[in-house]
Amino acid sequence: MAFGLRIFTQRTSDTIAQPILDADNGEVLMHTQPSVSIVLGNRSPESPGTLYISSKQVIWVSDVDRSKGYAVDFVSISLHAVSRDPEAYPSPCIYTQIETGDDEEEDEDEDEEQQEIMDWSSGISKIKEMRLVPSDPSQLETLFEVFCECAELNPEPMLGEPEEEHNWIFSADQLNSEALGEDASNWTFSENLIDSIGHTNGDNDLAHNVLQLHINDQCFEDAEEMDQEHDKNNSHQ
Amino acid sequence: MLFFSYFKEIVGREVVVELKNDLAIRGTLRSVDQYLNIKLENTRVVDQEKYPHMLSVRNCFIRGSVVRYVQLPPDGVDVELLHDATRREARGG
Repeated sequence: MAFGLRIFTQRTSDTIAQPILDADNGEVLMHTQPSVSIVLGNRSPESPGTLYISSKQVIWVSDVDRSKGYAVDFVSISLHAVSRDPEAYPSPCIYTQIETGDDEEEDEDEDEEQQEIMDWSSGISKIKEMRLVPSDPSQLETLFEVFCECAELNPEPMLGEPEEEHNWIFSADQLNSEALGEDASNWTFSENLIDSIGHTNGDNDLAHNVLQLHINDQCFEDAEEMDQEHDKNNSHQ
Repeated sequence: MLFFSYFKEIVGREVVVELKNDLAIRGTLRSVDQYLNIKLENTRVVDQEKYPHMLSVRNCFIRGSVVRYVQLPPDGVDVELLHDATRREARGG
């Protein structure tokens, strides 16, 4: 998976900024916002440009130099928010944090300052913050909602897989009660809290199972620790 | 889907969402989706000195995959109930 911000050059032509999207994989344009400045990390604002929000990524293309553009996938956007306080940033904007896939803690602020004299495209894969400043602040709420909608269209590839590893059988009783059409996907925690523990659909076998689970407390705690270890490993990738 | 259902139960309550990059944001839980993406309102960054740029943010959307912990309102958790439900979910119930 490609992490972080990248240079974007896939336009339909040199005169039209419209980006080329991956239509074969279902990528569609969700929103276009003209007259948007972009601020990467601590760099100076670049403006003006046009913001294209697709179902997969956020693309900004400069209006002045159409060969200049940036893109970031929604899977790399950790957080987005509407920022209005002039003390945090002089203009109201959409504030985003970008996951770079680079775990090393570097002294980025100093790096950034040195890079201002370098080429505009250098070091952008390490950018961790991006601000999008529309000339019309009334568009911020719309942009925020579009970002939310698109983020939900782009779950982690791993989490998007159906959960298939939960077919363990713990007891013969379970075989009976589970086989009789008690579908896991229909079970909701919120609707029937009490009944869902041990007495679902009046099936007393389940209460028996809960008792057995208490007996097996120790092994469940081990399993939880293993899960935590697993998560820890994942987060360091 | 257990935690999705659980988080829906505490919409409107105050939580602290701790991100894998150590940023911790306190706010009112506005919504959560099946990927545990979280929307917060009336947000405050817990360590404001370290993250001054987040001061202005009043509502935000946090990607579920970058969340490390969610600190829950103590009275919003029935520990025993959640414990049992978690075990139940773990064995595919």
